[in-house]
Formats: sequence, C-alpha cells, structure tokens
Amino acid sequence: MADSQPISGWGKNIHSRSARVSAANVADLQKIVAEADSSRGLLPVGLHRSYGDSALNSGGTLIDMVALNQIEIDPQTRIAIVGGGVRISELESAALKLSLFPPVVPGTGFVTMGGAIAADIHGKSHHKTGSFSQCVRRISLLLASGKIADFTPTDPEFWATVGGLGLTGIVLEVEIELRAVQSNSVDIAEERVKNLSEMVTLLERSDADFEHTVAWIDLSGDYRGRGVVSLGNYGNTPVKAEESLSKGPSLPALGGKNFITPLSVKAFNEIWFRKPLKNGPVALRKFMHPLDGVGNWNRIYGNSGFLQYQFVIDIGQEEIFEKLFAGLRELKAASFLGVLKKFGAASQAPLSFPRPGWTLTLDYSVEVPGLEKFLRNFDEELVSRGGRIYLIKDSRLDARLLPMMYPEFNRWREIRSAMDPDGLWQSDQARRLHLC
Amino acid sequence: MLNGFKSVGRLALIGAGSEIGQSIVAKLVGEESPEVIRVGRSGDFALDVTDKSARELLVEKIFTKGDLDLAIIAVGVLGNNPGKSEVENLVEAIDVNYLGTVHLLALIAERMKIQAHGTILVISSFAQVRPRVDNFAYGSTKAGLDFYARGLAAKLHGTGVEVKILRPGFVKSKMTTGMAVAPFAITPEECANFAVKALKSKKTVTWAPSLLKYVAVAFTTMPAALFRKISQH
Repeated sequence: MADSQPISGWGKNIHSRSARVSAANVADLQKIVAEADSSRGLLPVGLHRSYGDSALNSGGTLIDMVALNQIEIDPQTRIAIVGGGVRISELESAALKLSLFPPVVPGTGFVTMGGAIAADIHGKSHHKTGSFSQCVRRISLLLASGKIADFTPTDPEFWATVGGLGLTGIVLEVEIELRAVQSNSVDIAEERVKNLSEMVTLLERSDADFEHTVAWIDLSGDYRGRGVVSLGNYGNTPVKAEESLSKGPSLPALGGKNFITPLSVKAFNEIWFRKPLKNGPVALRKFMHPLDGVGNWNRIYGNSGFLQYQFVIDIGQEEIFEKLFAGLRELKAASFLGVLKKFGAASQAPLSFPRPGWTLTLDYSVEVPGLEKFLRNFDEELVSRGGRIYLIKDSRLDARLLPMMYPEFNRWREIRSAMDPDGLWQSDQARRLHLC
Repeated sequence: MLNGFKSVGRLALIGAGSEIGQSIVAKLVGEESPEVIRVGRSGDFALDVTDKSARELLVEKIFTKGDLDLAIIAVGVLGNNPGKSEVENLVEAIDVNYLGTVHLLALIAERMKIQAHGTILVISSFAQVRPRVDNFAYGSTKAGLDFYARGLAAKLHGTGVEVKILRPGFVKSKMTTGMAVAPFAITPEECANFAVKALKSKKTVTWAPSLLKYVAVAFTTMPAALFRKISQH
C-alpha cells in the first residue's frame, strides 16, 4: 500500500507515493526481495539527492539503505570496504583520519555508495581520475533472485550496475581504492574570466597541472559566460575544518515561494563574480562540496520545484554554447548555478554519463515560461552533435532520444533484463524513459 | 507519471468522437507531445460503451501497456434520437451516460490506485443541476455520474489519484446541432480552456463557463413555479 505522503527528488518537481521499508541488515533485504510483489517493483534508495524521478517508484516500494553503514579501511593497501548506505562524507571523514581520500567525490557529500554507483558520479577531478567507477574494485550486489553476487570490472554486470540507476540490484558493499593525501587541504587558485572563450582556454590550459578544475559561469545579464575558474591540488598544509558538513546554516521553508528570478540571479551573480578570489589552502571537503554549505538549498525554488540540466558535448562543438546562451537570453531564463568543466576519459559503463568533452550544468525553476519546449529542442540539437544529458538529473527527457544519447543503451538493457528477468527493480524514471 | 514540468506523458480520451474531448486533447498536445490513446467506436481502441466485458478488456489493454497519467471521460448521448421512442432514448442514455461511464470510471480508478498516480477528468453537465422538462432524462444520467464522481474523488483523496469534474453548460457542437442555443453557450475550444483550468485546479468541480456556478445556485433555490416558467424558454 502506497504511503499517503508523496516524496520527491532534490528538485522537488516530481512527487510520487510509495511504500517505504528500511532494512537493518542483509538478511532483512533478502526477506524484502523474497516477499516482493513485482507488479510495481522495488527500488533501493539513498538520500534522494538525485534531482528528478530516479529514486521514486510510484505505487511500488522504496528500500531505505542507510543502515548498511560499515566502513573498513586497510591503511596499507588503501582499500576501503564500505556498505551501500554509507555517505561519501562519512567515507571522507574516516579516510582523512588515515591520510587517505576517495579519488572521486561529487559536489555534495550527501550521496550514498549505492547512489554513487547508480549514477557513476563524477567530480572536479574527472579529467584526471575519471568517474567514480574508476576507483571501484568490486561491488557486492543483491540480485532480484535473492542471491548475492560479487562483480568486478571484468564482469558486464559490474558495468551495467555502474550508472545503472539502481535497476540491477541492491548495492550491499563496495570495495574502493582510496588515494593518499598529505593533509586535509587543497591549494587553490581562482581566476576571473570575462567570457566563455577565456574560460574554455583557461580550463584547457590548467587541466595538466591541476587535479581539480571547475568554473562557475554567470548565465544571466548579457550571458557572455563570464565567471570564476577554480583550480586546486591536494595540499600539504593542514587547515582547521568543520568535522561535519551539516553544521552550516539551513534554508527555512520560505513559504514555498520561488525566489529565483532573473533579477535576483543577476544580483547574486554580480556579487559572486566580484567576491574576493581565494588563493592558498582551503579545507578539502569545503572545496569539494560547496553545495553542502547551506542545508536544504533546494527550498529557494519554492514548491513547484526546479530542475538541473547537465549535458556533455565534444571538444570542438563549443558553438553549441552560443546557441544555448542566445536561447536562454531570449527566454529570460537566468541560472543560479552554472558550472562548466572539461571531462576526461569515459568509463566502460553503457549508461555512464561522462565522456571526453565539455559539461555544462544549469539550474532552473520549472516555472520559467517556455523552458520545457526550449530544452526539448536543445536536446535534439545536442543529439545531432553527439552530446547527451545526465540521467540522474533528468526529469523531462523525451524517451525517444535516450538511445541516441546512449548508443549502448540496448546492450545495457539486455544485461539488465538477464539480471532481473521478472522486472523486480522499477522506478518512475525507468517507466518514463522506458528503461526496462 | 507527469514529468518535471507536470506535463502529461500518456493520456486516454474515452469518447474519441466528442468535440469537447478532442479540443481538450488538442490543448494538451499543443504544449507537449504525450502519447494519446483515442477510444472511440472504431480504431485500435474500439469500444462499445454498453458492453460490460468490452469495457473491462479496454481498461486492461490501456494499462498493460504502461502507466496512464490522464483519462478524459467524454462519453455521452443526449437521448434525443428521433428514430427512437422516448423510453428507448432514456434507456440508451442510462446505458451510455451512467452505467457505461460509471463502470469505466470505477475500472480506471482501480488501476490508477495501483500505480498511485493519475487524473480522471469527467465531463458532467449543467443539466444535472435541476430537472428541466426538456432534458431531465439526460440530466438524471449526468446527475448520477456527477454524484458518483464526487464520491470517488473523496474516496481517492490521499492516494495520488484525482478525479476532476467539468460541468459545461450549452456547448455549440455536433451534439447540440439544431437545438436552441441556451444562454452562456460556449464553443468546444472554450470548453477545453475550462478543462485545462479544471486539471490545474485544486477543486473537484469546475464550471464552464465559471459564471454557471452562480446560475446553478439561482436555479436550485428558485421556487418551482418560477423555474417552470423560465425553463420553458
């Protein structure tokens, strides 16, 4: 029976009702799987940081994974064996005590291991390290059959699970190879750039010398793409840092109103562009997870919600940005959070998002008039240039375009259905995009 | 499921011949491009509304192929076929407007409850407000449908499934050709605008046009003698 309270992803733009169960251990999970009714299926979920409907299952069951929270790290081999419900931020804390750190972390620390695998997350280090799966040596998976299987990068099931949106089974445990760090800091250098071409040039020039590169891009006002480029390397100067990321301020409910308007974005971006540039050591986790500084920041978009649109396009296709910016200017769609980053090598996973090229991330209230149609047309343009969007942030893609964006989609589908012949794993996104 | 912009992904129009229904679909498709299932007398999803097992099969067929976000129930006859007797017309109106439609409504609601989301738009009528000599047989079937739909809406509260009732007045369409045009008459396109409003509204009942809400109050509170007089045109 579905719960009467609807829940949503981080973008708060799709709500659905599901039964929710939590598991204290693996035996509990096996019982849930054995007793499941496959008509609306099961879906393992973590912290609901995916933006759209990836972690929703209307009429079905969501399995809360946070109880699988063990962390064991061998300081000699740098191998961590971590439960599927462990948050990245918890792993970071444990690793830092041993002068170790996960080589790939996303913009928020509130992602579970299961979620990190399901989305094959990436971070500011992608040009050097690739996506999360590149540091994963083994995944222990609870399959629809009730059996537990270990998969390594030589198995197709491993790569179907990586980026597989939680639709291949329950990630019980992952084995991750951590990297050594000298301290809890990053030495950063920030630089202001006047427009997109300066930004692109600076990012390209910096990739070889910096482990972490990312640019904040101002997509408001004249949409020329001015911004601030942040470059960083693991430092050796220890800094004082907050132990917990969640100690910062949290945004109140604000009456459900949307505060993101072209005017407020323009004002904010003006301040942000002119803020003093940072140079020197800053706390590693503060640098990695800027989004976690303010709790519940998604409330700023109000009750109707927002979406995050992230795409990747090949090097040499930069002119698509001009088209995008012109269109956004016409729509008067101002983005609060624009991020540009150059990706490195892709992983082998059929549904993994990152691949060599430029990735741009934008946030928009769903109330921007004409945005739905605009993005639909932009998706077509993207496909014609070989680009694609990030599925873990999607809430509106036309299902038709998915196999064009992910040419190995059908291969993924075959592996997945062999792993789950009766269709036990389901999600709202899977139904919307005909994934299974 | 609706997408992040709350656009419908898959909808069914039950009563593909209805001009009101067609206009509503045109409005929804104009914004985006949902998959539309058209249920009519012929085609892929043909249905004889008066056939119980055909209704069951149809609903089964619609839902096996995927979740349904919106069902527009626009089935109905006025019961004024000159080739039939008054009693035959009455029975047909009951079969189609009440029995067939309410059964479909119940079947669809049951399936939507399993998926825990979806909206059913029911086309009721202003005619159900108070019996008028010229259309009370039709009005009685719509009154029954309307009554059931309101109850169903209340029953489904909190399940993720919503029932919305549209109560149009006189709509200038094929169905009303040759009839004297009543006050506050609207076109099917105008009616569709109110349907879109109904779908966005938090309220269960939407009148088309909105003013009819007050006319309905006047009608129901009017002394019988006066009502008889004005309803004879």
